Amino acid sequence: MASATETLRPASTPAPRHATRRAKAERRLAYWLCAPAVVVMLAVTAYPILYAVWLSLRRADLRFPAQSAFVGLANYATVLRSGLWWQAVANTLIITIVSVALELVFGMVIALVMHRALIGKTAVRTAVLIPYGIITVVAAFSWRFAWTPNLGYLPSWLHLTGDPLTSHASSLAIIILAEVWKTTPFMSLLLLAGLALVSNDLLEAARIDGAGAWQRFTNVILPVMKPAILVAILFRVMDAFRIFDNIFVLTQGSNSTQSVSILGYDQLFVGLNLGIGSAISVLIFLIIAVIGFGFIKGFGAAAPGMDTRR
Amino acid sequence: MSASGQKRALWGLTDVVVISLALVPVLWIVSLSLKTPATLTDGTFWPRHPSFVNYSGIFRTTLFTRSFFNSIGIAVITTAVSVILAAMAAYAVARLDFPGKRLLVGASLVVAIFPLISLVSPIFNLWLKLHLYDTWPGLILPYLTFSLPLAIYTLSAFFREIPWELEQAAQMDGATPLQAFTKVIAPLAAPGVFTTAILVFIFAWNEFLFAISLTSTDAARTVPAALAFFTGSSQFEQPTGSIAAAAVVVTIPIVLLVLMFQRRIVAGLTAGAVKG
Amino acid sequence: MPEQRLRKAVGRLAMSLLLLAIPACTASQAASNVVTFYIFNEPGGAFVHAAGVCTQAAQGRYSIRLALLPSNADGQRQQLVRRLAAHDPSIDIMGMDVVWAPEFAEAGWVKPVPDDIKAQVSTGTLAAALQTATWKQTLYAIPFNSNTQLLWYRKDLVPTPPTTWDQMISEAVALHQQGKPGRIEVQGAQYEGLVVWFNSLVASAGGRILDDNGNVAVDDMSRQAADIMHRLATSPAADPSLSNEMEDQNRLAFEAGNAAFELNYPFVYPSAQKNAPAIAKNMAWAPWPAVTATGTSHVTIGGINLGISAFSRHPDQAFEAATCLRNTGNQRYAAIKGGLPPTIEALYADPALRPSYPFADTILETLRNASIRPSTPAYTNVSLEIQSALSPPSHIDPPKVPTVLSKRLQDAIESRGLVP
Repeated sequence: MASATETLRPASTPAPRHATRRAKAERRLAYWLCAPAVVVMLAVTAYPILYAVWLSLRRADLRFPAQSAFVGLANYATVLRSGLWWQAVANTLIITIVSVALELVFGMVIALVMHRALIGKTAVRTAVLIPYGIITVVAAFSWRFAWTPNLGYLPSWLHLTGDPLTSHASSLAIIILAEVWKTTPFMSLLLLAGLALVSNDLLEAARIDGAGAWQRFTNVILPVMKPAILVAILFRVMDAFRIFDNIFVLTQGSNSTQSVSILGYDQLFVGLNLGIGSAISVLIFLIIAVIGFGFIKGFGAAAPGMDTRR
Repeated sequence: MSASGQKRALWGLTDVVVISLALVPVLWIVSLSLKTPATLTDGTFWPRHPSFVNYSGIFRTTLFTRSFFNSIGIAVITTAVSVILAAMAAYAVARLDFPGKRLLVGASLVVAIFPLISLVSPIFNLWLKLHLYDTWPGLILPYLTFSLPLAIYTLSAFFREIPWELEQAAQMDGATPLQAFTKVIAPLAAPGVFTTAILVFIFAWNEFLFAISLTSTDAARTVPAALAFFTGSSQFEQPTGSIAAAAVVVTIPIVLLVLMFQRRIVAGLTAGAVKG
Repeated sequence: MPEQRLRKAVGRLAMSLLLLAIPACTASQAASNVVTFYIFNEPGGAFVHAAGVCTQAAQGRYSIRLALLPSNADGQRQQLVRRLAAHDPSIDIMGMDVVWAPEFAEAGWVKPVPDDIKAQVSTGTLAAALQTATWKQTLYAIPFNSNTQLLWYRKDLVPTPPTTWDQMISEAVALHQQGKPGRIEVQGAQYEGLVVWFNSLVASAGGRILDDNGNVAVDDMSRQAADIMHRLATSPAADPSLSNEMEDQNRLAFEAGNAAFELNYPFVYPSAQKNAPAIAKNMAWAPWPAVTATGTSHVTIGGINLGISAFSRHPDQAFEAATCLRNTGNQRYAAIKGGLPPTIEALYADPALRPSYPFADTILETLRNASIRPSTPAYTNVSLEIQSALSPPSHIDPPKVPTVLSKRLQDAIESRGLVP
């Protein structure tokens, strides 16, 4: 919203006073508007985040308070050398990649149904939003009971012989299923917002040109939705990497199904080793930051606030 | 069958598949809640002799009812305050130019992704000293903090789409600033605010880690935390039926809310189509 | 100007936020006569009853208030540890699992029991229970209740109970081959129950895991114990869900009629009478099978000890309250209503108790021979390493177990590296 006077002003002459006053007023307003949110966020997290980072550089075990000492990066070295850490990273990557991929596909189907189905839109919309609204740990309990032989219905329906929650691979699959069931509605909502941007005129034109349904989908809908899809993937990946609730209730991390968050939790709350636990937290943070950065720079996902137009 | 009849049948089939996949696990938990402890393992989907003994059990003490009350109250207050704070900041981010905007966005991203597990202990220690431990504000403040980044981002994305010139146009047409805001801007901003409110509510409603760590009594314990306190009829017995009954009871309001608002929710998200 | 109005609104918002943060008025615990007892919710009301009785007995000197802890031991420990590490003065008495005493004592979170109280609570109390509450020859907690496992079996399928594990496994396999229910129900999930099983087997074989000073002392008996676990897990006598089973799943499987043997706590008996009377009719009990043909079994003891927090504001009253809480009358009530076996030996002969404890003699015999889990401040690490090394039981490689365990436990007691 540059005023006409500003654009015509040569560089050497001082800016007109009403323009600077206006810019100042705008700045003041902006600060006042942001202040409450910033104050809340800073007040609650500034000390804890700094404390966590500081702890990660120390040997700090709650049970042996006399042995606290500065150890530099030794905790990080211990973590990065530990097979448990890499197993947790592998688990987390598998869960993240598979569940986000599935959520993308199912979410797209559901978004299409919610937006364009000829019949039953209301029923689908209602039914699909219910998993989203159920408390995560409550849903996780439901899944755990459902998969327990003799108690639940799934082992007999699927004619399973063993107990699916006792082996590594099937436990991971169950965790992924619980994640996908719970979060696909969220993904479908994000995709729905992107789907709504596809103009009907464009689709009509494509249909008249002879494009089939699949071609319309890949050549018209997907390209227009690309920014929304990227944002949806970015959000979900960053969240899925920190998966905790479902694993906590389903397996407690047994059978080597720990995610990085569960591993960190175990070190902090069970092992009471604050140094190692904090180091793991910082590592998780760095990994997610790198992933996010990669998405923004590499795939061009829209970063919050990085908006070029007013 | 005509082409459009075929299409309707196909859509109908897809509907049924989607709905069953979404709802069968929910029906299962309802069925589990209606089974008595003796028939838990009878291996049928539906109970042969449905009984409400689990439901009467969870309402016998204040453990569950109080936690339900806490969950609703804390989630509602968190949502209201978070949306207000985020709206203000999002307005600034979307419409105003100021130095430090990138810093704000960057810092709120750090807050959004820093693992909560390592923040529990320091916040616990702080809260203990400030007497916020085991209180509603003790949970509301962290929930605010960790919902604000997403809320600010979502709202600023919506605000960027609003044609603010309409406000000036309305004022030039003779409306007062307040009228211009309420009659022109507010309806356009409503879908975004609504969507953000839902995101924040769901976050506070679901939150588990802080709920178990920052509460110790009925005063502030929410439903996810209360589940760990359920007992069976003896020390080692798993409270499967009680948990199932509690799960159904806390899901009912969600079902009602969804039924009431599903049209609004979808409309809010597809509001971008108006411009398209 | 809109800017001014906005500023006022922001100011008002900030004020209301500050008001939210002002400490909520809670009843002050400086009231010098409230002793807070942190304990899990015992469904039979044992602790509620004990607190009520002892508050009355105190005649105004103090009153005992119960505060709830989560139902599982891990959740209880986390809640307590977090607050003890922060020196929270609101805890006076806490219900401690039997394995926590060394950890809490070493960290300075519990007060040693004064000598006069120690004399009071030690006479007539099970030796093993006192041992769990002792660290470095000092008593740090007061035993409340105990617990231990028996061998439950179907007398219609098995006329006489087996005396060794080998015998039990072959009998179970034989039953399975005859097409009858022949499973052995035991806790094989990756959790503390697995350590109880392993520890009991090692002790029954005459071996140790840690020595009296808390140093690693893994010997060949660990291989024997692991061998038994592995053989059971890979035999037809094993429940397919073995590596996911805890006490309750064992109970359910036995009540469903799938098993001939069950190694579990006494809670299964009243439960079977209520939920599966047909099975309960044929349910008999015996001491745990031994490992060697001539030895006895040494089952690992469980239970709850009462510890006084080092940060309590009224430790004298807390000790007095705890001494009352664990008295004969309260232990009797807990035994009858809550199924919690007492730590006072005389109660096992008590006529009021025996009707609901037909197996009282067997339990007392088992408790007198009981073993304890490794006594070390790093017990959590030790337990997690054992759990991880032996999970799932079907994948155990017995000859390697002593060396693997020695190395991992050495790291564990030094709290080095990550816990599994």
